[in-house]
Amino acid sequence: MKKLPTRVKYWRIGEPMVWLSGAALTTTLLTAIVLLIVIMVNGLGVFWPSDIQLLELKDGSRIAGTLTRTEPTADKSGLRRQYKIANRDLYGLDFRWIDEAQIAHEEIPANMLTLERMEYGDFYGTLKSLGHAGQQDPATFAQLESALAVVKADLDGLKELEEKLTAASYRMEKLRLKTLKLDYNKAPADNPERLEIESEKEQIKAEFADLLEVQLSRTAKVREATAVFVSGDGREKEVVLADIVRAYTPNQMSVTEKILFYAGKLVELFIGEPRESNTEGGLFPAIFGTVMLIFVMSLFSFPLGVIAAIYLREYAKEGLLVRIVRIAVNNLAGIPSIVYGIFGLGFFIYGIGHSIDTLFFPERLPTPTFGTGGLLWASLTLALLTVPVVIVSTEEALGAIPREMREGSYALGSTKFQTLVRILLPMASPGIMTGLILAMARAAGEVAPLMITGVVKLAPALPIDGNFPFLHLDRKFMHLGFHIYDIGFQSPNVEAAKPMVFVTTLLLVLIVLVMSSVAIRLRNKMKKRYTFGTF
Amino acid sequence: MNPAFLKKVKRNDRLARWVITIGGMAIIFSVIFILILIARVSLPLFLSPEKALRADFQLEQAQAQQVATLGVDEYLETGYLVDRTGRFDFFTVADGSPLDSVAPAGEDTQRRLLTVDSYGRLNHALIWDDGSISIVQVKFFPFFDAQNNNQRSIRHRVEVLGEFPAPESGMPVRSLARSDGEERQVRVDLFADGHLQATLQQREESFLGDVEVTEETHTLSRKSAGAVTALTMSHNGNQLYIATDAGEIERWDLSDSEDPVLLEVVHAFADQRKITALDLVFGDVSLIVGDARGELTTWFPVRDEEGVWKLTRIHQLPGHNAAIDYVSPTLHDKSVLSRADGRVQISHMTSERLLLTIDPPGEKIATYALSTRGNGLITLSESGRVDSWELDIPHPEISAKTLFGKVWYEGYAEPSWSWQSSSGTDDYEPKLSLTPLIFGTLKGTFYAMLFALPLAIFGAIYTSQFARPRFKGIIKPAVEVMAAIPTVIIGFLAALWLAPLIERSLGSLFLSMILVPAALMISIALWQAARKIDPLKRVERGFEFLAVAPVLVMAVAIASVLGSGVESWLFAGDLKQWLFTETGNRYDQRNCIIIAFAMGFAVIPIIFTIAEDSLSNVPPSLRAASLALGASRWQTVWRVILPSASPGIFAGTMIGFGRAVGETMIVLMATGNTAIMDLSIFNGMRPLSANIAVEIPEAPVDGSLYRTLFLSAVILFVMTFVVNTIAEVVRQRLRAKYGRF
Repeated sequence: MKKLPTRVKYWRIGEPMVWLSGAALTTTLLTAIVLLIVIMVNGLGVFWPSDIQLLELKDGSRIAGTLTRTEPTADKSGLRRQYKIANRDLYGLDFRWIDEAQIAHEEIPANMLTLERMEYGDFYGTLKSLGHAGQQDPATFAQLESALAVVKADLDGLKELEEKLTAASYRMEKLRLKTLKLDYNKAPADNPERLEIESEKEQIKAEFADLLEVQLSRTAKVREATAVFVSGDGREKEVVLADIVRAYTPNQMSVTEKILFYAGKLVELFIGEPRESNTEGGLFPAIFGTVMLIFVMSLFSFPLGVIAAIYLREYAKEGLLVRIVRIAVNNLAGIPSIVYGIFGLGFFIYGIGHSIDTLFFPERLPTPTFGTGGLLWASLTLALLTVPVVIVSTEEALGAIPREMREGSYALGSTKFQTLVRILLPMASPGIMTGLILAMARAAGEVAPLMITGVVKLAPALPIDGNFPFLHLDRKFMHLGFHIYDIGFQSPNVEAAKPMVFVTTLLLVLIVLVMSSVAIRLRNKMKKRYTFGTF
Repeated sequence: MNPAFLKKVKRNDRLARWVITIGGMAIIFSVIFILILIARVSLPLFLSPEKALRADFQLEQAQAQQVATLGVDEYLETGYLVDRTGRFDFFTVADGSPLDSVAPAGEDTQRRLLTVDSYGRLNHALIWDDGSISIVQVKFFPFFDAQNNNQRSIRHRVEVLGEFPAPESGMPVRSLARSDGEERQVRVDLFADGHLQATLQQREESFLGDVEVTEETHTLSRKSAGAVTALTMSHNGNQLYIATDAGEIERWDLSDSEDPVLLEVVHAFADQRKITALDLVFGDVSLIVGDARGELTTWFPVRDEEGVWKLTRIHQLPGHNAAIDYVSPTLHDKSVLSRADGRVQISHMTSERLLLTIDPPGEKIATYALSTRGNGLITLSESGRVDSWELDIPHPEISAKTLFGKVWYEGYAEPSWSWQSSSGTDDYEPKLSLTPLIFGTLKGTFYAMLFALPLAIFGAIYTSQFARPRFKGIIKPAVEVMAAIPTVIIGFLAALWLAPLIERSLGSLFLSMILVPAALMISIALWQAARKIDPLKRVERGFEFLAVAPVLVMAVAIASVLGSGVESWLFAGDLKQWLFTETGNRYDQRNCIIIAFAMGFAVIPIIFTIAEDSLSNVPPSLRAASLALGASRWQTVWRVILPSASPGIFAGTMIGFGRAVGETMIVLMATGNTAIMDLSIFNGMRPLSANIAVEIPEAPVDGSLYRTLFLSAVILFVMTFVVNTIAEVVRQRLRAKYGRF
């Protein structure tokens, strides 16, 4: 036997290649871990009330802000820090870089407070005085808090009024649509229904005017309460108390208080409405829209997928046709989601939606009702997109059931349908669930087809409300995934929007990861249960 | 047993069979249906335009000979004839019944019309036999009668925009006049002795309301040799083109009233053929040239190497068999009408497509007029028949050539592939070339696969063959969960976190590309040497991937620390600047490196899962036999297991490829979305999928852009369909070979 040189032998045996392939796996896993860490680090810290530092620079100016980042300066001579200085209405910018070399003195004064406002983002500063209708008196933070509580109570009262106003305008809109219908049917001017509508309209108008007047006067009264704050650099700013969402003194808070505060912000995230073009406040409409979308989608894709899988596995005769169907199903899974989106636009919206409009709502045209993007069309598009996932899992689950089960059932005299319903489906249910959960996870994370079938950055109303018919499938909706794209890329102030994007990302990642890990565990368990039969 | 119950059971069974079979078949059809629907939307792009004769009627011979020109409204309801006395006789298009008749230029029975030069939106320059010219515009507007159930009718009005007196120097043989209706009037006359004269009138209103009119008359000294055969002028009267019977074109600039400038003389045709017709394409940039040999060409000024603007021949349109005697533009796009030997052709400049031929049998068209929207044409034949045609030309600018080939767009220096669907101006021409988008898709996919393939396949090999089974049970589900991470999140992180990070530390990135493999090789060699010592020899195998992790992390950490130092040492502190000056590569923040990482990350789990499945399903007997014959574990994998599993790995690669081709959100966020054709890894691109997402909300339904976007969806569909079908067929064969997996 020829003796090979050591070098050649070393490579032939290929131990380094084993290590290198191990390195490939490690790289993949590390990338995933880095991705999760980045999301966690950036997302989890957003709601933590960090201390406000007051800096005095060497040129004598003073700045109040929270430290966000430290990195080497461009010329590598020292470090520079990024501070969130807030007070967008005074400074125009939210963030500022400061070289450490410039800082003469820094402190964390106890009386610094953070205001979360309805407009212009946060405010950092100290309280100077509380006032009412032009009269200003020096005040303490406790007094501010009680004044805010009073204003909040007033605002809650106003909210009721606002609801009444919304209801009135909704009724008005209904009447307008009725009139449109009458116009379309060429009803004469003295049609009794028309007269009735007119009188009702007048009534609502009067009601509306009264409500509006009350609301305006009460709003004006609430807005009389103001407070004057002093920013870090000594500028005074008068803020209407009604515009303050929350005021707190982070520098005085204990760790427990901070944790409670954090929890409070989390609750707001889940149930609150978005503010400031979605970059502040809560995510409730987006979460609700996502859930509704997934729910309506499942209603379509689940039965369709399961039936198709049953056909393929139990009814169709194995042959060319079934092979073609399998290829078709797998192709359906591989079609780019944007193609589904454009199909949804062309077929559901402009095709079916437009036909529905011309058949049932011709009086509203050219304003579309179903002929524009909406929850129903987006759900149907996603259902089409996720059907293959359900089919493949269900088929797998049915295929894993040993033959003996079927044969036993037939031997006892049951029909095919009885076998299916009583034996096979219960046994395959974990697999079917897996498919459904995977489909839901896919729907939660899919954005591209939604962008052209009805998702919007800010929906005026939820798809479910107290007005008949309660479920409004024609309405546009908000979605967590689109929320990320929208505030991360379409918002005017990307830097200020970043925290909110990371929070939304974290939430979406958690939802999707939890769903898919549950699904995968379920599937693996089931595989173990039946695999003993095949080997 | 109860027979009724049995019957019910049997009925249920039959019913279920039907429902399930129909449901199953529906799935196949839905795939086909999706393709058919999107293809059907894009199909009209390639259909031929259509014409239909709406109405015709016969004029009396005497009246027909009196007609100087004609026109029609854009609803094809009202038409008009202009006779030699300058009267405008309006009539109903449907049956020719006369409506009213006006003489906008005055009821002078003495003078007669020589010719009428029509331009723009129903503007007519009436050239009288006494040398004077009147510019008249006909305006049609829809009127809704409130009294009569909002019935729509078309009303019309005739306005005089400008009057030009006869030139003092005698009777011209040919005249042109333009007026913008307010400030400027331009008149150009050609006299029998061949000399040209331009009269430029400028009306200026001072802020006190005094009107000052300055008039300048210049003799335009021609430099061309031949006799003038055709003239045309832009709408504002600033550019004048003169063509001769020796194939020359002169380009004049009349914008300065005091000093008309001859910009150039072009010898348009080498064979010095006679140029018979001239006009300007809508937008007043391109010149239409019709010649005696029946050829139709368009020209516009292009800047040459020395920076001089030269009138250049750009497009060759489908020609005629006889000398072209008249050309005119359409008024809403870049189409051209031409007439030769009594037949009219409509062709599009950019797509060079012959759209329609109007050739009524047995008739020769003497005069024609197009409606302003281009949807109707009215013709008067030599025998006095008036035909009104309804034209349906939905997508004149689209042809296979404009969609995929290089096209020389108006105002561009050279032919190019370009995608630019909209702009602010009306006379803008959308540029809908799919080539840069397909290129962008393939480029992004290529770099993503370059990153993903080795990692996914080698990772799968390691997981299925070398890792301890305990790890396999964790890694596989973990990677599957990775596949579920929404791409919007990957895209967002790539664009807003990774892209700035890599831009800041480009030096470190390149350094780690060298350092990481080097560190790996050195540490592996060291470990191999160390393993010869006794206690280490017995260390269990199967933990390699964990042992490698600290090495990788350390190498990347060292690279990120040293990166900036290396950058300042080798590349004068700024690698991006160095790249630009030394290699000419511009560095975009959102580039292919980012796409490779992000999209690669998105497809790794897909390839990994399928590859791992097929590797695990190779029968263990093969592996046992190979090991028993003395092969090392790598040799076994490389020579025995990999070949058996290769169809599965191939299928995984194909499916990953399909996923990368169709991926939308990542490319939308992390590519910069510029439609350029550049292979550089430091540039971005605009793939088909992102293009659809960006443009479709703005595209008018059934417009060219809308259909082109559907066409690009068809291309995406077909690309993924082919790839997926191949993968699926391979997988099915593999399944048949090794049993189910």
